Amino acid sequence: MAFNKLDDLRERKQKIEAAGGAKRVEKQHAAGKLTARERINLLFDENTFVEIDAFVTHRCTNFGMESQELPAEGVITGYGKVDGRLVYAYAQDFTVSGGSLGEMHANKICKVLENALKVGAPVVGLNDSGGARIQEAVDALSGYGKIFFQNTIASGVIPQITAIMGPCAGGAVYSPALTDFIFMVDQTSQMFITGPQVIKTVTGEEVSAEALGGAMTHNSVSGVAHFMSANDEACIADIRRLLSFLPSNNLETAPVFECTDDINKIVEELNTIIPDNPNKPYDIIDVIRLIADHGDFEEVQPNFARNMVTGFIRINGQSIGIVANQPKVLAGCLDVNASDKAGRFIRTCDAFNIPLLNIVDVPGFLPGTAQEYGGIIRHGAKMLYAFSEATVPKVTLIVRKAYGGSYLAMCSKDLGADVVLAWPNAEIAVMGPQGAANIIFRNDIKDAEDPVVMRQQKIEEYTAEFATPYKAAERGFVDDVIEPSSTRPRLADAFDMLASKRESRPAKKHGNIPL
Amino acid sequence: MKKFNITVNGKTYEVDVEEIGGAPSAPRAAAPRPAAPAAAPRAAAPAAAPAAAPAAVPAGANTVTSPMPGTILDIKVAVGDTVNSGDVLMILEAMKMENEIMAPASGKISAISVAKGASVNGGDVLIVIG
Repeated sequence: MAFNKLDDLRERKQKIEAAGGAKRVEKQHAAGKLTARERINLLFDENTFVEIDAFVTHRCTNFGMESQELPAEGVITGYGKVDGRLVYAYAQDFTVSGGSLGEMHANKICKVLENALKVGAPVVGLNDSGGARIQEAVDALSGYGKIFFQNTIASGVIPQITAIMGPCAGGAVYSPALTDFIFMVDQTSQMFITGPQVIKTVTGEEVSAEALGGAMTHNSVSGVAHFMSANDEACIADIRRLLSFLPSNNLETAPVFECTDDINKIVEELNTIIPDNPNKPYDIIDVIRLIADHGDFEEVQPNFARNMVTGFIRINGQSIGIVANQPKVLAGCLDVNASDKAGRFIRTCDAFNIPLLNIVDVPGFLPGTAQEYGGIIRHGAKMLYAFSEATVPKVTLIVRKAYGGSYLAMCSKDLGADVVLAWPNAEIAVMGPQGAANIIFRNDIKDAEDPVVMRQQKIEEYTAEFATPYKAAERGFVDDVIEPSSTRPRLADAFDMLASKRESRPAKKHGNIPL
Repeated sequence: MKKFNITVNGKTYEVDVEEIGGAPSAPRAAAPRPAAPAAAPRAAAPAAAPAAAPAAVPAGANTVTSPMPGTILDIKVAVGDTVNSGDVLMILEAMKMENEIMAPASGKISAISVAKGASVNGGDVLIVIG
């Protein structure tokens, strides 16, 4: 008898593990995709995954659904270890009814979110679903709503990461959108609210699914996604890497790794990395890599709003969030997209106790009607708000230009930077020498015998006097002007000193960030 | 019209000043201004070109547009040149920076819509590759 029951259990489990059957699994592989179970096994350390709710089944009796068995309800849920740390996950199974989302499927996902919230562990969602299970009608819709709600409740408490590894259309897009990071797999994943067919009927536009909502579109144009991976294996490896930079929840700090890269390293290259001519561009990522442990930089949204660089490095083994201007793209100006990108990233870091390093080389806000009509005022305000609101250690390093409002927006002392360091070639002023000389020395220039020569002379005078870090240092807006080569030890020291920083804000329901 | 307070021998006068294209701005504007009209008619031609040659667009023509308003400092390529994706096509001086305008894709330069020294606006077509 006992043996029969054991056999029965094994048989049931086998059936669940077979998912949609060999034929559908083969089809999934032929499409260049892994199955949900293969993905889960890749995500977790070997033999650490514990499945929950495998026996859950749907309750639908309409349209012949009563006779349909859907193994694991089309979504595998559970928990396990990633690099030895507890992580919860769910993976939608495209081989089971197209990974369609019904009431019980949604309940399984909600249970993952609730449990993860209780124990303070990150959640990784692997999405591959045709959408709502239409037979379940409003029950399916309610399922989405419950997931949105749980995502929002968990937001800022536990890191939530979503990977899009297949179709993700209609209401399904909003659960990923509510999470902290979105990964997309190139060519096999698409996200959109309305698909190409609907768009064609309504507006007449013809667009392919890939062009409309493919990985590159959302990584470069819309800014919806944060990372793009070549295939399923690479995507899961990337998720594991990102998790190493994040704490498990909002009460912990990110794991500290033993640092084998000398923190007292003097990097001579930094002394010459900035071109002598302030009008020459260079790649800020080279600067970031020279500061980071082992030159390792995990860039977040590398293809979107490239004039702003965001991402993670480690200094002395500690996770640090980078917000940096990129002089190579759009002169490093702040614009609508760059402000959104930075604002969101700053809040992600602040929510999860990751200190911020802001590397400043910014000429100003991008001028133009497109920017003003696009609402650069309210978008730029997000950055100011996010920096002011953040209570994590904030270190600002001014490597070259820091002009006007953009100097403030990059977290000046006034927005609460704990330490502001500047390189000797820094230009911290209200506006560029050309513009400033025209206004301040208007009369001198007008009355001069040779206005052109006089203007040039006055520009040089202004540059020497004001386009330096020393005026700001005289006021204490810059704590120290340092030799670029000593940047790494100085930053390591600053973050070490700030490790015990405590800063509180008035109690409130929540602030009102300009959205 | 700008208002200034001017003090003469301890007595303050309020003075309205109207700018009528004074000397300080003239030398600056002098150089780019003659170039701008020269560029304008030329810019008009490529604007018409996509309409005139719709056949070229489906063939995969790439237009490179100016990312922001500025001045063309240098043009590194000529019509007929073959370029690779990422090659520097021209230098656009804008926002105190000599910005490198790079080829978004590989191909042959089929048209250059601007001249050296021309002022361009954000979104203006600079070069057509295809």
